[in-house]
Amino acid sequence: MLARSWLAASLLVCAFSGHAQAENVEPAFALRGFGTLGLARSSSDQAEFVRDLSQPVGIKGGHWSGRIDSILGLQASWRATAELELVGQVVSRLHYDRSHNPELMWAFAKWEPDPRLALRFGRIGADFMMLADSRLVGYSYLTVRPPADFFGPLFFSHFDGADAAVTLPAGDGLLHGKVFAGRTHEKAAGSLGIWNTSGSPVAGVVFDYITGPWQVRAQAARIRFAADMNTAFLETPLRAYGFPEAADSLQTKDTATRYFSVGMVYDRGPVLVQGMLNHIRHETAVFENSDAAFLLAGYRLGRVTPFLGASRWKSESRSGLPIVPLPGLGDLYRLFIAGAAVDRTTYTLGARWDFRNDMAFKLQWDTVRAGGGASFSFPNADPAWNGKTDVLTITLDFVF
Amino acid sequence: MRVLFVLILAGLVLAVPVARAELVVVANPRSGIERLSEDDVINVFLGRYRRLPSGIAAEPVDIGDDSALRARFYRILVNKSLPEINAYWARLVFSGKTRPPRVVDSIEAALQFVASQPGGLAYVERAQADRRVKIVFELTE
Repeated sequence: MLARSWLAASLLVCAFSGHAQAENVEPAFALRGFGTLGLARSSSDQAEFVRDLSQPVGIKGGHWSGRIDSILGLQASWRATAELELVGQVVSRLHYDRSHNPELMWAFAKWEPDPRLALRFGRIGADFMMLADSRLVGYSYLTVRPPADFFGPLFFSHFDGADAAVTLPAGDGLLHGKVFAGRTHEKAAGSLGIWNTSGSPVAGVVFDYITGPWQVRAQAARIRFAADMNTAFLETPLRAYGFPEAADSLQTKDTATRYFSVGMVYDRGPVLVQGMLNHIRHETAVFENSDAAFLLAGYRLGRVTPFLGASRWKSESRSGLPIVPLPGLGDLYRLFIAGAAVDRTTYTLGARWDFRNDMAFKLQWDTVRAGGGASFSFPNADPAWNGKTDVLTITLDFVF
Repeated sequence: MRVLFVLILAGLVLAVPVARAELVVVANPRSGIERLSEDDVINVFLGRYRRLPSGIAAEPVDIGDDSALRARFYRILVNKSLPEINAYWARLVFSGKTRPPRVVDSIEAALQFVASQPGGLAYVERAQADRRVKIVFELTE
């Protein structure tokens, strides 16, 4: 609430401070924005395609829709002193509750006592993506959206807390290290309805090494969920029939999920190649442990950059789960656990056209293949779905 | 003789737009640095590490958002087009990481800034680097 009123105040001051700039004096206030107008169609009418698991509904049936990719963001920043800056960002996009209500993405104070050290406090972004730390700013990356196989499960985009970053020269390059900790403030949508994860403690470390055209990154993060999902329909009968261990396996409250990733970028002149791997481990049986990877390559030809990519997300089925030797209930439990299986592969082909210095058109074709009836990440999938869909997307990305 | 004269004249006329003045990076004479490496210049202008070897915080300036000079500087330095540089900054600015160089609207304003700030750095043509500033890096095409 405090952050909200601060943001409103700084927006107001921005509006009235435009004429106060003297020559050579950097304006203390800056108001910037970004957005994406996206139209996408997914060929299958038996499963919906979403950008990530925070989205409650996707696209299907070959209808063009602006639902999953359209985004508008506004950011105000105020440099109070040379060392202290306040930043607020509001974003409108598709939410867990199907609304597009503005959401406070960032509201933090950043203190840089030295070029080597930066500390931030407040609501800050979760640092998941190489080469586009804000996954919502389409203008800043090559593809129409971050690869869904890789970033789909990462539905957290911010947390309330602090981070500290250190940058030091090392060898021929720069070593960048960051630690962060805080509590999430987000909700996700799924087949069980809305899952409020607000208040879940999250912490992690990120290391980057940058030398010449190369950047490598290693990252680890952990979240401990503050709330259960709506699994009572299954938990209650399991307890009633004397299977408390099976019921416990469905809980998410106080269970930890750990995320590890490594990545590399080669960015030299017209050539851009990036790849990442991640591994996610869950204590709860509601999700399966999974591995994911993506590789993307682009080559700039004048103002047009064609690109191609591949990504994959695969989970491993649980072993050692309690056996529920009861017809009906046991089958339901087994099916529910198996429903978390993920096995999907995407091949991507597209092009970005920078027709202005602050706007780009993108056209992208994705062929998505889900193996073995694993439809966990596709909302409202028909059990008869053959696991195939082709997604065609056109976006207009801009910054101002 | 007359043919030779015409040829030389034509050569001069044609050569003018081709032979472009060399770009240099200039610093404040009190910056405590004599030279910067190419990596130093990239790190400062791309916001990766803004600390001069002398320990002073570096303050780079860009000349114009869409200027030919700015386009040329980044093309020579990192072989990137202005849309790519803008996309790069969109990524960093909208994740609250770091700021792009401050923008001034003329070469004179850039030289004034560098002359007044110990950590100031700007790019100009060699002939424009006057006594107020010190050349610390030469860009080779």
